[in-house]
Amino acid sequence: MKFIIQRDQLIASIQDVMKAISSRTVVPILTGMKIEVKQHGITLTGSDSDISIESYIPAEEDGNVNVEQIEEGSIVLQAKYFPDIVRKLPEKTVEIEADENLKVTIRSGKAEFNLNGQDAEEYPQLPKLQTDDSFELPTDLLKSLIKQTVFAVSTMETRPILTGVHIKLEEGNLTFTATDSHRLASREVPVSDSNTAFPSVVVPGKSLNELNKILDDTEEPVEISVTNNQILFRAKNLNFLSRLLDGNYPETSRLIPEQSKTVLYAKTKELLNTIDRASLLAKEERNNVVRLNTQGDHVINITGNSPEVGTVSEEIVVQSMEGEELKISFSSKYMIDALKAIEYEEVKVEFTGAMRPFIIRPANEDPILQLILPVRTF
Amino acid sequence: MVVEHQNKRRVIFHIDMNCFYASVEMAYDSDLKGKALAIAGNPEERKGIIVTSSYEARAKGVKTTMPLWQARRLCPELVVLRPNFDRYRSASKAMFKILSEITPIVQPVSIDEGYMDVTDCGPPEKAIELAENIQNRILHELDLPCSIGIAPNKFLAKMASDMKKPMGITVLRKRELSTTLWPLPIEEMYGVGNKTAEKLKKMEIHTIGDLAKKDVYELKQVLGINGERLNNRANGNDKRSVDPDAIYDFKSIGSSQTLPHDTIEEEEIKKLMVILATNVERRLKRKQAVGQSIQLMIRYADRKTITRSKKLQMFIEDKEDILYFAKELLELHWNEEPIRLLGITVQDIQEKQRIAKQLDLFTYEKEAQNEKVVYSY
Repeated sequence: MKFIIQRDQLIASIQDVMKAISSRTVVPILTGMKIEVKQHGITLTGSDSDISIESYIPAEEDGNVNVEQIEEGSIVLQAKYFPDIVRKLPEKTVEIEADENLKVTIRSGKAEFNLNGQDAEEYPQLPKLQTDDSFELPTDLLKSLIKQTVFAVSTMETRPILTGVHIKLEEGNLTFTATDSHRLASREVPVSDSNTAFPSVVVPGKSLNELNKILDDTEEPVEISVTNNQILFRAKNLNFLSRLLDGNYPETSRLIPEQSKTVLYAKTKELLNTIDRASLLAKEERNNVVRLNTQGDHVINITGNSPEVGTVSEEIVVQSMEGEELKISFSSKYMIDALKAIEYEEVKVEFTGAMRPFIIRPANEDPILQLILPVRTF
Repeated sequence: MVVEHQNKRRVIFHIDMNCFYASVEMAYDSDLKGKALAIAGNPEERKGIIVTSSYEARAKGVKTTMPLWQARRLCPELVVLRPNFDRYRSASKAMFKILSEITPIVQPVSIDEGYMDVTDCGPPEKAIELAENIQNRILHELDLPCSIGIAPNKFLAKMASDMKKPMGITVLRKRELSTTLWPLPIEEMYGVGNKTAEKLKKMEIHTIGDLAKKDVYELKQVLGINGERLNNRANGNDKRSVDPDAIYDFKSIGSSQTLPHDTIEEEEIKKLMVILATNVERRLKRKQAVGQSIQLMIRYADRKTITRSKKLQMFIEDKEDILYFAKELLELHWNEEPIRLLGITVQDIQEKQRIAKQLDLFTYEKEAQNEKVVYSY
């Protein structure tokens, strides 16, 4: 096995694949990175058995030659050393060669590393996914969907299913939903080729976070397909495979209030900044609680209070307000997360009382929904 | 610096107001001065009980907890007043304010006593002078007498303040314990109640000195960990620091009252329950606190006493809630024998501003319902 490759290309691919590699894994060979060399290009693979990532570097792309002097073969290299070595090599190109004794030589300029490789035959086969039941989504939209929901997954293993994002495709609408039971985030988008039978699945939040890091902000499509226990995201030169979470995702739609008693419209940024300031005096100990009081038709008052430190109070003029007066306490952190996910200039906040969930949506009714359970104070 | 402080000999004051309630009444109405005065729970009721009394009344044999009729017989000229807690509280506040002007390390223990750590307030040899100053200020500014104990720790300071009343200043030095503290009968030791004293006497311990010399192992056999603690104290050792925040660590707030006569009348019992719940509510509100457990104490005519408590789903603060759960306990645990005394206590107390409960998407509806159950009562 042998090839000479553009170093920048290799570094980019290694970085993506490294997202799936963990130094703590039950299968020892998974601490390594698989390199598979074919005449048409090179494939790097990393996996921690929950997530697997394949990154492909075509030998030729848009008339540019990325890889040359190709001799086919494959090898597994220690992921602890390989990425750092490549990053620090002196020249723009890297030559990698493996002999039949699994000895690997990495050359760049006058630098030469000799590493012990492992047999690629021992690297687990990634499950081959049938791609019949698949649909496509622009990459940037997929990234938005992830960013707007994944922060709300639970970080506690007490209800494992809640550590994932619920993905559902029904009647041409794709919905991402995440909740840690204290807040809920969901977004719906229409999907064009919607005849696909796509089962509803729960993808670990961690997987989606990694996927979001790897995907570029482009409009190029990502193909999504599912089998019983795996989901595959196929982008250009990238396969991202994740395990699914077992179990039924709780029915959340009936928990979302349909009527509201107090509705207010506000500038997202203004509300966000005010809450952020109030949160300075609402730290850890008491769930970062801030209090919101309505005052007349156009003013709300946000207060924070740390018994040992001090208090803060700020009035903000809202676009409009309808319905009952309200005093409610909630976690400033949840509110900040939610407002950041809205992505539009104006928000609509709908309350149904101090003990019930409230809903934050873009004022233009784009189906982004952020729901927060209040904090009960005395 | 911390180490230095620990090794340093501390100077602790224990300030004990003399006959506090009676003294406050005398300061308020100087005509009462020099008279035999008693504060009693319920002067109209024949069975009212003496809460406190002036030295003049005590000289005639009037004692705290004595029934009013008995006190009147001993001292026919006795002036009896109902307690006026607002008055006592504001006097107490003024007293602690004077103390805190000397050092911030003041630990109020109750309405009429507290500790001060004055280690850093000047040389130890000036401690008596400082105590005299405090005593004079409290007397001149508030017209209230107090006794002050000076010692290297809280226990000895407490014992010292008790040695000379009223207007005493007593120093207890560790090296003089054998002549000052040890000859005292064991009942007079702070921390030894009737039951403990009985047990100790069975072990041939009659004075504090006997306790100091007793083998710790033997004491532990009888009194558990408290045995070791008492032995330490008797030897003049007490490491507790003066903690200004200790007063805020209140865990429960309660109220109890003896009925005018033993009763099984539900009306009477209900009436008393309402009074108790109202008292508890008032105290909770004053402390800006709520509680999550409720306890009911029933003392029967034969003095047999039971306490029963219940942990609640939510925090309570209103008398309606307090009464609701207290009644529930009464219905469950009262054996229908005549009742002499009832007490309601709210436990697991927290300051309101310290509690916040994050509601849960999957259970908030249930929580909202719980709320309703209580308020519909």
